[in-house]
Amino acid sequence: MHNIGESVHIPDGYLSLPWIIGTYIVTIIYLAIAWKKARAQLTPEKAAAATTLAAAIFAAMMLNWPIPGGTSLHMVGGALAAILFGPWIASWILALVVGTQCFVFHDGGITALGANILNMGIIDVWVGYLVYKAVRKVVPGEKGIVLGAFLGGWLGIAIAGATAGIEIGLSPAFPYGIEITLPVMFTWHLLLGIIEGIITASVVYYLVKKGKWVVA
Amino acid sequence: MRKAWYAIVFMIIISPLFGIILANMVGYHEPLDVAAEMLHLKDISDKINWTPFYNYTVPGLPDTIGYIISGVIGVTVVYVLGKLVFGGAKE
Repeated sequence: MHNIGESVHIPDGYLSLPWIIGTYIVTIIYLAIAWKKARAQLTPEKAAAATTLAAAIFAAMMLNWPIPGGTSLHMVGGALAAILFGPWIASWILALVVGTQCFVFHDGGITALGANILNMGIIDVWVGYLVYKAVRKVVPGEKGIVLGAFLGGWLGIAIAGATAGIEIGLSPAFPYGIEITLPVMFTWHLLLGIIEGIITASVVYYLVKKGKWVVA
Repeated sequence: MRKAWYAIVFMIIISPLFGIILANMVGYHEPLDVAAEMLHLKDISDKINWTPFYNYTVPGLPDTIGYIISGVIGVTVVYVLGKLVFGGAKE
């Protein structure tokens, strides 16, 4: 049986104990802080929209596009959520999705749940958000929104992939594996991230164009 | 918002095409698996599994149908959690 959705989802058995504990602690503390910040920002409309986006990201992640001879890719959506809702709410959107994938479908390990939320719900979210914000400062108007969303989506995935590479690379008893895992994960996700960037930019552009959403 | 739900339903319906059918046709390796293989790391997910819906399957159903039902289950769980978490934040 093939494993779906493991492009960035670390399964059980890859992380060593210090990394399991460390990533859980960082993620739990971060989510507690994010919760306080998110709560202050949520209106009833935003709460309903955030729930809908979480459901949409879950469904989008099931669309696994296999690439002949190589790998597969699916949407992660951290940058998209961050651009639409800001990073604090976005982290919780991704945490709900990644948590459901883990507990209900065992997609991503229980031992790796801290790391997987860290990579997709924190790293992807924040890299995507900060890149988007930086681009918007330099490039004005609609062009800045689209370019920022594209680069945010792209680099968010690239860095999240690299982080997963670092986590598993430093995990084995003899931590020289990072020389392999980091370049493999980073190069691949630098490539795969282009599609994430295109999807992120398209969705953001559509929502802005239709006047359905005011982006940050 | 309604359009977003149409999109979600559409994605679930076509998902087996990508998640199962094309995936089986091309036979692929994840970058993560490639890297892990080089390090002789073992994915032990199937040995410590706890869920009947392991890897988006439903016991007794063909992979494609199971994948769609998994999609419905997953979206429902995420929706209910979202209502609880984000809805509870409003007060």
